Amino acid sequence: MSNAFVIRALGLGVELNGRRVIDGVSLCAAGGTLTAIVGPNGAGKTTLLRALAGLTPRTDGTLMIAGADPAQIGAAEAVKTRVYCAQRPACAWNYPLTDLANITSRPEAFADWLVKLNLEEVIDRRLAELSGGEQKAVHLAFALSQLAEPFGHAILLDEPTDSLDLRRQSAVRLALRGLAQSGAVCVIATHDFELARHCDRVLVLAEGRLIAEGTPADTLTPTVIREVWGVDLTAIPSSR
Amino acid sequence: MKSRVAAFTFVALILAALIAVALATGPKGFGWGDSNGLMLLRTPRVLAALAAGLALGIGGAAQQGVFRNPLADPGLTGVFGGALFGIAILLGLAPDIAWQKSWLIPAAAFGGALTVSAVLVTIGGHGSTARLLLTGLGLNAFTAAGTLVIAARSGESRELLTNGAYGDWLGMATIELTWFPALLCLLAALLLLTLARSLDLLSFGEDAAKGFGCDVPSVRRRAVLLTALAAAAATCLVGQVAFIGLLAPHLARTLIGPRHALVLPFSGLLGAALLLGADTLGRGLWPQLPLSAAAVTAILGAPVFIWIAKSRHE
Repeated sequence: MSNAFVIRALGLGVELNGRRVIDGVSLCAAGGTLTAIVGPNGAGKTTLLRALAGLTPRTDGTLMIAGADPAQIGAAEAVKTRVYCAQRPACAWNYPLTDLANITSRPEAFADWLVKLNLEEVIDRRLAELSGGEQKAVHLAFALSQLAEPFGHAILLDEPTDSLDLRRQSAVRLALRGLAQSGAVCVIATHDFELARHCDRVLVLAEGRLIAEGTPADTLTPTVIREVWGVDLTAIPSSR
Repeated sequence: MKSRVAAFTFVALILAALIAVALATGPKGFGWGDSNGLMLLRTPRVLAALAAGLALGIGGAAQQGVFRNPLADPGLTGVFGGALFGIAILLGLAPDIAWQKSWLIPAAAFGGALTVSAVLVTIGGHGSTARLLLTGLGLNAFTAAGTLVIAARSGESRELLTNGAYGDWLGMATIELTWFPALLCLLAALLLLTLARSLDLLSFGEDAAKGFGCDVPSVRRRAVLLTALAAAAATCLVGQVAFIGLLAPHLARTLIGPRHALVLPFSGLLGAALLLGADTLGRGLWPQLPLSAAAVTAILGAPVFIWIAKSRHE
């Protein structure tokens, strides 16, 4: 049964500069599911995602992604088990998008993702000529194009809809569902409740600890939100 | 694509023309007046300038790639200073054995360049442009002072080291002195070319690059090591030359775009053309009072450097 889990993270703990940023968080996710990590600023969402990607060394816990610990295997091997996309990518040089296709290991997949994320009309521009949201979408396309096969692999995205317009937000939601249907596990750190409600499971994180876990309906309740964010949801018309 | 081929062809043609002019330029100035024998005598100098320029161009592009910063240049960050300081220490401590083996001076230069690179990566590698350049400034001042102290105290090497600090060693190029450092330049340049894709991935930042499957610590280590080797070998041939490692990659990026698979070789070609052009100009314009290659690159390079700084902040 446990083999069905693509991600098996048990009791993860991360310390940064002597401060415990992640404390005993477990996360098991099977292929075909979308999991959202939500929580206030500084709750440890990004650190948890980086720890899952094997980018931040952890102090406690065990981690298996597609049968290997990404922190133990080399970067070239780890990219075959998971892809990771940071929240605010910044590129040092002003690449034309056509050059990025040559840099990624899978140019056709990159071209496909550009189309899926509505970027075909800017394809002959350079990065600096794009808006912040378009750059973020290009970065997502670049990261996702590294994945050879969604089935049985983990996709770890930090704020994938951050600064995207409504059309691209819905394109990202659609794409993530599509990846999950092909058998991938998607774990997303996000402030976007619309996206979180679209996921199968939600982890609510506060001060590095798991506060609530379950379906969006069970976790994103007015009670939890008032407790964790200190916000009375009835006051915000859009989220009800 | 077409324009890139055109740019490569154009620079290759300029380089070929420069080689012809450089071989023909003698103590009487530009022109084909001299005999073939003199041309053979000039060959080592031309080869030295080409090899050093190649290493400086590619080394500059690689250092900029590693630090993700267009103002990183082994001349400004003190790596050349470190190479010369290494040579100065060897000449100061053991002037008798320094010339016995052809690899001793390059090895000393490599040691100095590597030490400075290590300090640079440790202190200035993870912060802002200001931190990198300030660290480089400090390292530059320290190694220059060290070289001058040693030069002042060692009578026989004094002129040699002072000339090195002014980038005026091309004039003493002979086949015996040139072949080994030139080979090292070529080796460092070729090995740096293999890092092209990793440097592209690194341009998204350390974290993103790791996420894309790039073994960042290993790439960084190799790039720093090879840049130090390129800088050390080039220093053995010309002494200290600033600006080539800055100008060549900048021109390359403007002409053919930022992809490292193109920028690295193109910077190498441009670096070779710039250094050879500067050296030929320096000894051809006033044959009685020749200027060092470094002086000419500084006279031409400094305004361009200021122009880059200006256009970057507009």
